Amino acid sequence: MRKLIAIWAGKLLTFVGKLIGRKSSSSPGAFALKIYPALVSDLNSIVKKKIIVTCGTNGKTTTNNLMCSALEAKGYKVLCNRLGANMLSGVATAYLQAADMSGRVQADYACLEIDEAYTPIVFKQIKPDVIIITNLFRDQLDRYGEIDITVDIIKKAIEEAGDVRLVLNADDPLCVQFGRASGVRAVYYGISEKVLPQVDDTKEGRFCPICGSELEFEFYHYSQLGKFRCPACGYRRPEPDYDITNVYVGTPMRFDINGSPMKINYKGFYNIYNLAGVYAALNVIGETVNDFGKLLEGYKPQIGRMQEFMFNKPVILSLSKNPAGFNQAIATVNTDERKKDVIIAINDLANDGRDVSWLWDVDFHKIKNERLNTLTTTGIRVYDISLRFKYAGIDVDMMTDSMKAAVKSALATDSKVVYVLVNYTALYPTEGVLNELQKEEGA
Amino acid sequence: MKIKIMHLYPDLLNLYGDRGNIECLRRRLLWRGIDAEVVSYTCDDKGFDISDVDIIFLGGGSDREQKIVCSRLLEHKAELSAFVENGGSLVAVCGGYQLLGKYYKLEDETIEGLDILNIYTEQGKKRLIGNIVLEADFITQKIVGFENHGGRTYIGSHKPLGRVVCGYGNAEDAGAEGVIYKNVVATYLHGPLLPKNPQLCDYILKNAIKHKYPEFTDLEPIDDLLENTANDYIVKRFVK
Repeated sequence: MRKLIAIWAGKLLTFVGKLIGRKSSSSPGAFALKIYPALVSDLNSIVKKKIIVTCGTNGKTTTNNLMCSALEAKGYKVLCNRLGANMLSGVATAYLQAADMSGRVQADYACLEIDEAYTPIVFKQIKPDVIIITNLFRDQLDRYGEIDITVDIIKKAIEEAGDVRLVLNADDPLCVQFGRASGVRAVYYGISEKVLPQVDDTKEGRFCPICGSELEFEFYHYSQLGKFRCPACGYRRPEPDYDITNVYVGTPMRFDINGSPMKINYKGFYNIYNLAGVYAALNVIGETVNDFGKLLEGYKPQIGRMQEFMFNKPVILSLSKNPAGFNQAIATVNTDERKKDVIIAINDLANDGRDVSWLWDVDFHKIKNERLNTLTTTGIRVYDISLRFKYAGIDVDMMTDSMKAAVKSALATDSKVVYVLVNYTALYPTEGVLNELQKEEGA
Repeated sequence: MKIKIMHLYPDLLNLYGDRGNIECLRRRLLWRGIDAEVVSYTCDDKGFDISDVDIIFLGGGSDREQKIVCSRLLEHKAELSAFVENGGSLVAVCGGYQLLGKYYKLEDETIEGLDILNIYTEQGKKRLIGNIVLEADFITQKIVGFENHGGRTYIGSHKPLGRVVCGYGNAEDAGAEGVIYKNVVATYLHGPLLPKNPQLCDYILKNAIKHKYPEFTDLEPIDDLLENTANDYIVKRFVK
């Protein structure tokens, strides 16, 4: 009965949230958990087939949602924390949304993205069958301390999870170490050829996680992802079970997984990893993947994943949360040959990480080239990001506390496209502004 | 005039946007028409030579990386110590600050330091994390930054860099942050430190130039509106 009350209360809260126009991705769940703390652990018995968890610094939401779409395309019922609320309360909210008024949940699979820091807590309640770990980058330093601490947390969480299959990024020396623990069953996916220009961006994981020596790279893709090898202890990139070759980065992107060709319409090299992780995980749970391309047709990117808003010219919204993400976003912006205006918004609220020193680890200077028309900075830390540009020798054309003013000004130039790069808490307000402007224009 | 800046082990100690500090030193010299040369000394380099270096920068790293650096640096303890005693400028942030002391005692081991400052560090229970504001007696502008450290540093009779106006500092209840000794500025503040603290950056530059060119009087003023606004924003937001 307590459980039913918890579900009703949570559902009511979601409903009220919708009425007042708030996106409730975690608060209804948090509330329901207060009434019935065991809510989440009930998933173990409710989910008929398997629980698949995705963690890692970047690409969690996309990978998790792709996984969910693929399973739904196969006709399964899937419970998924689609909006990316990835702590215990977010999982509880996903549960509430899946439950009917009598509290029943129909779920063949659960696809859950879980914040690395919360994996030990979540895995005390949920026993995942598969864990996908996408990558580990420097992220929100003030919350985690240092990346070594995150590694330890994940190791403990894997132990806590018990009998679990790991799906790991073979190109990430920090990820691969999780597959080495005794009794762990892991499969790997990786990109097995040089694709991108070999630039020297921040590589926080360039030291061997086993012995501490500097790793050697035959080639690398970005950050510390690549074909690595430790000259001292022999730790090296494993041969991927799911091997990506023949990569063509363009629109659409093309590549082969284990020899079968794929074509996707998403922007961003990093999406190859997200797809490969899903492909590998589907294999691990015994689902066929011959029709992989078709399975993904129903996938809609979450907001801010190079999301296009149409005005007199396209405005493309991109969420990045850390140096690796921003470097990838900038690389993607630079593959667009059109003349462009760029707006960058940086906040420092709890969900962004309060420490903005990472701004200096991003290769922001690469945004400057002959195709950049104007550069605008905004957000709570507008001065920090502007200083970042000043000391990179790049002029900021406009500093503003209003995203609306920034977008309006960019729409009025003679450029062909506008890119808006934001970090986490700037995302929803920016989406709001873009929707509002679209309405104003339509009116 | 020309100032040579050496970034020590940027391949290992480069955790919290340290390159922002280097860029800040370099650009603020160039903007005044003073030549600046930045060199890196990495793990792979041989022949440690700081005889013509004016400013040494030692940044922060994870505990693991710090251990590697320390074993390397200890080989050059005598040169570094003489550099400081002779009035060379040294800026040390976070891990670099801890390394200047006698030792850094971790839970299960003790890392030997360079013993350039008569200070020591012990690992505390929780990490001290957050925005921090200091008041220093040698500049009028408050010093702002971000701290994130597990170590508690005990500075004995050394002069601190500043009094803590908000934040933690050398330890929870220390009330003081960092050390200033001869031309050494050592601190837990990253952020990075210098771009938002133009007065502190100029203080370091001025000392270094004066040391090399004794006839030098003062740095020309430059447009610091953005730097000062950024500094002021942090002070107003966090100092109640």
